[in-house]
Amino acid sequence: MAGFLLNRLVSAALVLLFVSLATFALIWLVPGDVASQIADPGASIEELERIRRRLNLDQPWHLQMLSWYGNLLRGDLGQSFLLNRGVTEAIIERLPVTLSLTLLALVIAVTLGVAAGILAAVRHGTWTDQGIMAVALVGLSIPDFWLGLVGIYVFAVALGWLPSGGFVSFSQDAAGWARSMALPALTLGLTQIGLIARITRSSMLEVLSQDYVRTARAKGVLPFKVIAKHAFANALIPIITVTGVIVGVLLGGALVIEQVFSLPGVGRLIIGAVLRRDYPVIQGGLLLLAFIYVAVNIVVDLLYAWADPRVRYG
Amino acid sequence: MTTRRNLFRAGGTLALLAALPFAAGTAEAQKRGGDIVMAQQAQPPTIDGMTTTAQASRNISLHIWEMLITRDENANVIGDLATAWTVSPDGLTYTFTLRDARFHNGKMFTSADAKASLERYARVGGSPFMKPVKEMSTPDAKTLVITLNNPVPGFLEQLSSPRAPAVIIPAEEAGKEANKIEFIGTGPFQFVEFRPDSHVKLRRFDGYMQNPNATGRDGFGGKKTAWVDTITIRFVPEGGARTAGLQSGEIQVLEQIPTPSAKRLANDKSVTMHEMMPWAFQTFIFNASQPPTNNTKVRQAIQAAIDPEEVMAISTDGSYRLLHGWQYPNTPYFQGDLGKEAYNQKNQAKAKQLLQEAGYKGEELLILTDSSFKNHNDTAITIGEQLKAIGMKVNVKVVDWPTALSGTTKKEGWNAWPLMMGIEPYEGPYNVVSFFAGPNARIQVEDPVIGAANATLNSALTLPERQAAFAKFQKQMTDEAFVLKVGEVGIFQATRANVKGYKPYRIPRMWDIWVE
Repeated sequence: MAGFLLNRLVSAALVLLFVSLATFALIWLVPGDVASQIADPGASIEELERIRRRLNLDQPWHLQMLSWYGNLLRGDLGQSFLLNRGVTEAIIERLPVTLSLTLLALVIAVTLGVAAGILAAVRHGTWTDQGIMAVALVGLSIPDFWLGLVGIYVFAVALGWLPSGGFVSFSQDAAGWARSMALPALTLGLTQIGLIARITRSSMLEVLSQDYVRTARAKGVLPFKVIAKHAFANALIPIITVTGVIVGVLLGGALVIEQVFSLPGVGRLIIGAVLRRDYPVIQGGLLLLAFIYVAVNIVVDLLYAWADPRVRYG
Repeated sequence: MTTRRNLFRAGGTLALLAALPFAAGTAEAQKRGGDIVMAQQAQPPTIDGMTTTAQASRNISLHIWEMLITRDENANVIGDLATAWTVSPDGLTYTFTLRDARFHNGKMFTSADAKASLERYARVGGSPFMKPVKEMSTPDAKTLVITLNNPVPGFLEQLSSPRAPAVIIPAEEAGKEANKIEFIGTGPFQFVEFRPDSHVKLRRFDGYMQNPNATGRDGFGGKKTAWVDTITIRFVPEGGARTAGLQSGEIQVLEQIPTPSAKRLANDKSVTMHEMMPWAFQTFIFNASQPPTNNTKVRQAIQAAIDPEEVMAISTDGSYRLLHGWQYPNTPYFQGDLGKEAYNQKNQAKAKQLLQEAGYKGEELLILTDSSFKNHNDTAITIGEQLKAIGMKVNVKVVDWPTALSGTTKKEGWNAWPLMMGIEPYEGPYNVVSFFAGPNARIQVEDPVIGAANATLNSALTLPERQAAFAKFQKQMTDEAFVLKVGEVGIFQATRANVKGYKPYRIPRMWDIWVE
């Protein structure tokens, strides 16, 4: 187990190194200049050069890269060009928004997706099955930003039940937090229900046709117990795998949803940084998202052993 | 909710008492209290107002801080913390008489604060207008004297410009670097909190001392009576979400609502649309250093070919007006019909003839534009199609705003660039002309006529001389077709119907409005 974990951690470090290198390369390849964002539109070439020197952007790319990695090894993600604060600080103050949005959306997607998938599998071949799969396909096909805007118009404008956007922190007002997160989390989660439902259905169908399930039914075990204990427990591995994948999708989706609902999260931070060429924030933000994604994948690997006792890491 | 009558019982502050005669003179009774949520698209890069030219910052900072002099409803220079000023005959010495004002920390404003603030502006300010300042002195607590190295006729216009406003901060803060100050001003609202990517919250400053010379709201200055208790300025990047927030009542004031939404909601009784016309110039800037646009006749051919009505109608969704001049009507430098003959020609035959005379052989015209601003993108595409109709080979390259802004500082890689100029024409002639003058001119050539006009504009001591210089600039822009003024763009601001007293302006002003 320790060897497996060490192996995965080394792989994770390599993935993060690759992500940071790729980000650095992309930043250098994309045209545009933060100096022209900071300076007055009528600024002289000298003024733009002065800003570039102040931000060390006049240095060759390899020196900038070495400097960035040097700071990273000291746990410093650098200073934002535009936010007047450190990148780490900027990320930390926004991270709770993104994590709570992603986790809530994940809970919604997994709970409803698994329930719908099990129901479809149990009612295989019926109108219920067809209906659930059709809705799942529609859910997978809807762009989340569109669904978000429709949600705003229905629940905020027409019904007035939920706010159209903005964020209330949990410590400030728990009920306000729930109201502010409900629509964004639902929007983000709903689009992923379909994927989990489809995987759960196919995995359950495979397990439900196994001999031990037939045996359990023949012994007179209650149908609920057959599904929950004998079938679902053995169908978990693909569901865990796709859930890990969905965390990445939800993190990516959070970038869009935070824009639509004006949530002050990491996604909005990164989009703002890209639009204004705030390179240290782009670099730090993407590294953080990659870190979360890699960490989730390691957790998923560990969960395999929990879900299936036959899995052994040596 | 507290009413005006209750204010008397409450024994309000000097500022509120001073506001009452004005209040009594209006048809509607103002109400004190309540909260206003205003939404704007962008988050401010900083609240430290003097360090940035960003409109998102200006919307906030000009509620917290005040300037020595500022602009009135028609963009003319008026006093704010300075009630009067004189300029020496040689144009070198400016003497400002200052009024009583109180900072949000309770300290009274003096000339030492004004001097220290402008000294800080010279170090960290967003515009270079302090460069010609030789020295500043404070003969007494109510007098500030600024001496220049050389006469700068536009000095008062620059000092009063809201672009990167020369706001007055306490002298104790003035030694601090950019973005390091406490947000303490003399304005009608004081800073409460800034949540990045979320909002800024301000509350009414009950110790606010109004300008005794003012009679009511006037541009960025005037009497500035704060009626509401708090204002929350939310940053909502998505246009649809901003409109939805207004409709649902969560947002009471919108800095800008998309024109199609404004038209859709025009008959909605719960909201009020306010058109701000003009807001900006829509321009089409040529790179005069690169073929084919280094040829005057090619530029004149494009000038003759384009249909500004079609371009403006498409790019602004209908909020526009057609005007050729490089200043707004009813301002001191407006040049009447000068250059009008070259505007709105829609003459394809003439355009083709000019292309033939230019020896145009189908060289590519590269229009660089961005997808971040709809009107830039639409202007590029519409003009591109109009030019294809006269046989030009057009390539519209769409990038994002930072790429376009950075790319057009270079000589290579573009021929034309649509740009909306908002604050420059509002400020007056100086920054319009300087944008196209000198070695850093955005037209990528240093034109001697424009250069001479810019020099005269910035040195001549009499208004007629400067007006004549501006006329030469406008004539040269028309004759050489360095830049096409396509038209003037309007925007819509919006309020909930229960927000009273609102008047659109370059920032959504939260003073002199109240909630019913």
